[in-house]
Amino acid sequence: MIEILGLSHQFTRQDSADENLVVLDNISLTIEKGSFVSFVGPSGCGKTTLLRIIHGLIKPKVGKVLIEGETVCGPSANRAMVFQEFNLLPWRTVLKNIEFGLELQGTDRSARRQAALDVLKRVGLGGFERYYPHQLSGGMKQRVGLARALSTSPTYLFMDEPLGALDPQIRELMQTELLKLLDAHRKTVVFVTHSVDEAIFLSDRIVVFSARPGRILTHIDIELPRPRWKDDEKIKSSEKFVTYRQHIWHLLKHELQSELQLQTMPKLA
Amino acid sequence: MAETQSVKAFERTERAVVPEAEEGSPFRKIWNRHSTAITRIIAAILFFGGWEWAVRSGSVNPLFISSPTMISIRLFEVFADGSIWSHIRASGEIAGLGFVLSVVVGVPLGMLMGRVKLVRDTLEPLIMAKYSSPTVAFLPLLIIWFGIGILSKIVLVFLGGVIVMIINTEAGVANVDRQLVETAKSFTASEYQILSKVVIPSAVPFILTGMRLAVGRILILVVVAELYGSSAGLGYIIFQASANYDTAMVFVGVIILAAAGVVLNALLRAMEIRLTPWTTTLAKW
Ligand SMILES: Nc1ncnc2c1ncn2[C@@H]1O[C@H](COP(=O)(O)OP(=O)(O)OP(=O)(O)O)[C@@H](O)[C@H]1O
Ligand SMILES: [Mg+2]
Repeated sequence: MIEILGLSHQFTRQDSADENLVVLDNISLTIEKGSFVSFVGPSGCGKTTLLRIIHGLIKPKVGKVLIEGETVCGPSANRAMVFQEFNLLPWRTVLKNIEFGLELQGTDRSARRQAALDVLKRVGLGGFERYYPHQLSGGMKQRVGLARALSTSPTYLFMDEPLGALDPQIRELMQTELLKLLDAHRKTVVFVTHSVDEAIFLSDRIVVFSARPGRILTHIDIELPRPRWKDDEKIKSSEKFVTYRQHIWHLLKHELQSELQLQTMPKLA
Repeated sequence: MAETQSVKAFERTERAVVPEAEEGSPFRKIWNRHSTAITRIIAAILFFGGWEWAVRSGSVNPLFISSPTMISIRLFEVFADGSIWSHIRASGEIAGLGFVLSVVVGVPLGMLMGRVKLVRDTLEPLIMAKYSSPTVAFLPLLIIWFGIGILSKIVLVFLGGVIVMIINTEAGVANVDRQLVETAKSFTASEYQILSKVVIPSAVPFILTGMRLAVGRILILVVVAELYGSSAGLGYIIFQASANYDTAMVFVGVIILAAAGVVLNALLRAMEIRLTPWTTTLAKW
């Protein structure tokens, strides 16, 4: 279980020295063990920042995060992160990049090679073992980042727009792959996405954030039957699905409109 | 009339864009394919031919500029009788030792400077002062400290080489992508693992470039060091030959040095392409 208690965060502004940029404002949230929770919200509202705080990569200014009852004060081997910007090591091949996480955690050579080859196939990169990142497309790089996190078999998986760079077809395929994988190895997943459909299809619960400073607007429990990967097309066109989509879209549109007005009004005047 | 002209003009532009598609004399085809090489060969022939002619016709004294044939003959002679090898070895020893020392000392020092603030704050003014002053100026001091023998020469070469190794390594270490460091941390990397698996590999391209720059400086410094109090070496040959007005021999020394520079540079460049394909394949052209 992940408990986020009264969490706020701010960065020092780049454009003025004495003002701070408030990014997250009083976030409290509980994420049940084994559940799949998605964050959706306008760009720049602090989703990535929140994910980094949960993983222990940055310390929050106010509040704290508890995982299994213990305060998070740094990354741990039973948690893994998929980064929005892929963050692959340019001097390593695909295979060695996937092995990177296990290597850092001290897994021996043959075991980590086996694990890496295993997930490599699962993300559809078979045959590209010896390619370097600069020889891959954006979507392929993203899948390497995904494979790197999956190969460490984490209990907690934090994914920051992990399918954002994929084309729509592969994206849907990867969604079902992900669900299959999670059925086989139950994990607690925190997932950031800009795709409302993706969030609904994958999640047990969706957390909708306001524009910056990020506050939780609402939680929506998604009560669609599982396993969802079996008849995904039926689920996606079901009445329930469409209702969820309309509801979330409505919330997001409202946020985006107020955000845009805030930004453009002074310039027009 | 105007129409045919415009059609001709069209054809001409067509040709310029697609030279392969052009028919015409075989000479023209060869020219289209190898124009750079041909231009260079012709330029070289004109240059060396003109030089040779100027000397033979008596319009310039060979004492000053020698001549291509005289230089070629000397070059052949010194390799044929093997007399040049001891000089190449003498210079190579100084350059090689100086280079190895530069790398062995410069890389760790550069890393320390890039990672440890205390070391950086202490050494930076010193390094910068040294970097901005001509290394050659240290030679008299070095001779006083280390004598006239090989030691002062190696130290001079080392001083010139180590500075670029330090500066390049430091830049490489300081330039490490913070997101990659964060990624390593997210998989629970220790400080040592971050250094060995992220920071050092990302500094490798900088270190290799530093090595190439160091070789260039070292070749210059070897020659300068050998101008004073030597009994062997390419610098010594050049100095002796010029004192004896043996201009062809001066050129022989210069040519060997230039060739060494070209070969070493090409070798290091090949090594860069092999070791750091991610930086070299993209920016090749
Ligand atoms: N290290 C940092 N220093 C200063 N400001 C930062 C830093 N990291 C993020 N920010 C700011 O915090 C805000 C939130 O950034 P964050 O990356 O969390 O947004 P996000 O919700 O993930 O957006 P997106 O959906 O576009 O990825 C942004 O305005 C950003 O400029
Ligand atoms: Mg983000």
